[in-house]
Amino acid sequence: MDELLPFLISGLGVGAVYAMSGVGLVVLYRSSGVLNFAFGALGAIGAYVAWSLLEHDWPQALAWAAAVLTSVLLSLAYGRWLAPKLAPRDPTIRSIGTLGFALVVLGFTEWTWGEQPRRLVLPTDSLAFEFALAGGDVRLTYTRALGLLLALLMMAAVALLLSRTRVGLKMRALANDRDLSALLGIRVLQVDTVAWLLSGAFAGVCGLLLANIVRLQATLLTFLVIPAFAAAIVGRLRSLPATVAGGIVIGVLEAMAIKMPGFAPFRTATPFLIALAMILMARGNERPA
Amino acid sequence: MSANWIAGAAVRVDADDLAQVQPALAGVSRQAWRSFALMVGTVLLIGLVLPWFSNAYWIKTLTSALALSVAAAGVAVLYGQLGLVSLCQYALLGAGGWAALRVSHGLAWPFELCVLVGGVTSCAIGMLAGLPALRMKGLYLALVTMMMAGGFQVVINVFGFPDGGAGWLGKVQGSERLLMVRPAVAPSDAAYLRYVAVWLAAVLALIELHRRTRAGRSWALIRRGDAAAIAAGVNILRYQTWAFGLAGFCAGVGGALLAGAVGQLDGRAFAASESVMMFALTVVGGVTHWAGALIAGLLLRAVPALLTDFGVNGYLAMIFFGAALLHALITAPSGVAGQLVGALAALRARLNRARHSAP
Amino acid sequence: MIRIHALTVAFGGVKAIDGLDAELSDPVCGLIGPNGAGKTTLVNVLSGLVRPASGRVEVEGTPLLPMKPLARVRFGVRRSFQTEQVVEDLSVWDNVQAVLDHVPHTRGAAGQQIARALAHVGLLNVATLLGRELNLFQRRMVEIAKSLVGTPKLLLLDEPGAGLTEQEAGTLRRAIRAVPEFCGAQVLLIDHDVDLIAATCSQTLVLDFGRRLALGPTREVLDDPAVRAAYLGTA
Repeated sequence: MDELLPFLISGLGVGAVYAMSGVGLVVLYRSSGVLNFAFGALGAIGAYVAWSLLEHDWPQALAWAAAVLTSVLLSLAYGRWLAPKLAPRDPTIRSIGTLGFALVVLGFTEWTWGEQPRRLVLPTDSLAFEFALAGGDVRLTYTRALGLLLALLMMAAVALLLSRTRVGLKMRALANDRDLSALLGIRVLQVDTVAWLLSGAFAGVCGLLLANIVRLQATLLTFLVIPAFAAAIVGRLRSLPATVAGGIVIGVLEAMAIKMPGFAPFRTATPFLIALAMILMARGNERPA
Repeated sequence: MSANWIAGAAVRVDADDLAQVQPALAGVSRQAWRSFALMVGTVLLIGLVLPWFSNAYWIKTLTSALALSVAAAGVAVLYGQLGLVSLCQYALLGAGGWAALRVSHGLAWPFELCVLVGGVTSCAIGMLAGLPALRMKGLYLALVTMMMAGGFQVVINVFGFPDGGAGWLGKVQGSERLLMVRPAVAPSDAAYLRYVAVWLAAVLALIELHRRTRAGRSWALIRRGDAAAIAAGVNILRYQTWAFGLAGFCAGVGGALLAGAVGQLDGRAFAASESVMMFALTVVGGVTHWAGALIAGLLLRAVPALLTDFGVNGYLAMIFFGAALLHALITAPSGVAGQLVGALAALRARLNRARHSAP
Repeated sequence: MIRIHALTVAFGGVKAIDGLDAELSDPVCGLIGPNGAGKTTLVNVLSGLVRPASGRVEVEGTPLLPMKPLARVRFGVRRSFQTEQVVEDLSVWDNVQAVLDHVPHTRGAAGQQIARALAHVGLLNVATLLGRELNLFQRRMVEIAKSLVGTPKLLLLDEPGAGLTEQEAGTLRRAIRAVPEFCGAQVLLIDHDVDLIAATCSQTLVLDFGRRLALGPTREVLDDPAVRAAYLGTA
């Protein structure tokens, strides 16, 4: 058990990000019907923006803010300008559109910053909590602690938003039945804006954290959205708590799989295996007639 | 005997009905066969002519492009005929390439047989993978295939591709790595380019034959709607699985041809993003016309090489491709191929009018 | 011949069809009733899209309910939909051939069957037109032609006349009336157009709130005061 503990902790760190990414995906999907394949790319470009600013000695908080702002603005740009052009088509095509957007953002990011892997070193990396648990000593960098805290705060905030505010109510109505909600007078455009904004904010934060935890490389960050999809699938693209649980479990299992004899080289496949298992176990997802 | 109540009184014999419509049907049939011949002829001609205009580097590039076109044709079948989004075609290509390499190195079978083994392997995997996903919403299918591509990425990264060794994996260490044996009829690069073009023509022909017979009609009904399909007696699951099998076959053949082109495949080059790009560029190329698959292969391999030749950053190509995908989805569902064909038809119509109105 | 025994269909707590008993024996039968009476539900039960809670249905003496929808199509139960389902990309000929792809028929006689069916509905001269080039009337006639191939036993026509002009409706009437003689199939026609029903159907079943309101010769049924009150409005 002792050897597993550091992996458990690091898995929690990544898992929290997967969970947050999953929430960002599901919230947008439920209210606008679009599964955002560009989620990772938006996070990537935000992380690069932060990196550039930090290289120019900007204060950390501002760099983070600029990163999230970049993701939010790009997300809004797609949501308000391009997404409406695909609005009359079926859900699959509306989501594939974000794939095109992902390629544009990814291409731009790699063109601007180059493809070589970098490290997004944050000042909070050098400071850490160290404490002794029953299993052994654990070292948790400030960044990871901050990440975990941020993840918890943001997910709690979204839960509150959806259940306590008027906007949240409208988002839930839209998720339930978009056309009916529009007929009932809910300002679909206004609610969509909030949804894309939230999704962009989540993307920005997740991009920063993943760039720090894994590495700063555009293609990698863009396609780390796939484990986030896996978390969303665990939540059946519907339930936020299940998505959070799914993300954390995926992150932890993926990290702990290092200790599994024989399976260790394949541990990065853990999200896919979990997602496939969930899909195969899914019932009631019949094709509409 | 059928009474033609439309005409009123006349009682006509059945055989007359068919005889009446035969000329029109024969005309349509002739036209269909003409465009079929045009397709096969064009692809073969391209294969014949390209090596004359290309240096060694470009021959290799174009060979890869044509091999990928074979796989792209499979994506076009699934999306164009059934509206199904498959984001794992490149992974199936890899699986087919793996099987072809293993059989070629391990059993020393003739190249054509290895290609067929690759095709059949991916056909089977495609059908198996498609089955559970088929009862789901279209988006779930996209996600399932993407997860499969992700899984394949991890597995092939660990196992690598066969290169002459023994055992299941067929991997060999060090400098004894073997290249795949080329077909006897096409050992040189230029000859192999033509050889791949022949396979492309054959696969496109196979798809066209599907589209013009029972499979194509059933797919069209499924496209119209489940209710319409059931009302006509179409077994939706069977025909969707068939399409998945056909698409898998295309991927496997493409993978085997790619393996033969380069001699070996790299286990690190099969990221899930490749399958995503293949889908995106197949949509851009066009999913209803056969030329779309050809264009997709060129976009995937030839255009980036061209940009490199001109000193343009390859990532600009990615921006362009993403924008092209959005454009194709928003405005031009038939893709570049469809627009080209439409433009050609409009041109022909205008020339006809000019010819008929000239004194 | 359609025999329905104690058929009940429930959606949640609502009984769309409630203990229906009926025997429809005439070659062309009508099915009328106010909106929500259960007409389309009955057709959905017959074609297999909806499972009833209880009851039995027999067509030509064969129990229908144990058969899956595709098996029923092969057996000979064909239906058309309120919104026509013509495939845009296929020609008229191919639209009809698509049905023959899946139902039993004599090998080699496919072309003759299709030509015969198209001639019956008057579309033989446009056989090579694509679906998207057809007008509404032609599309509706394609639907009928599709149900005539492959030795059908029962045609379920769901409002085939919606949206047609007077003249087109007249042509449709003649086509429907001639179906039993053409291929030996029985026709069950749902429509709101009482004139169409009166002109084509010799026997009519009236449903109201999922129950049988009247069943008998069309003239008598249409004159029935209960039917007039529920459906046609008191005179």
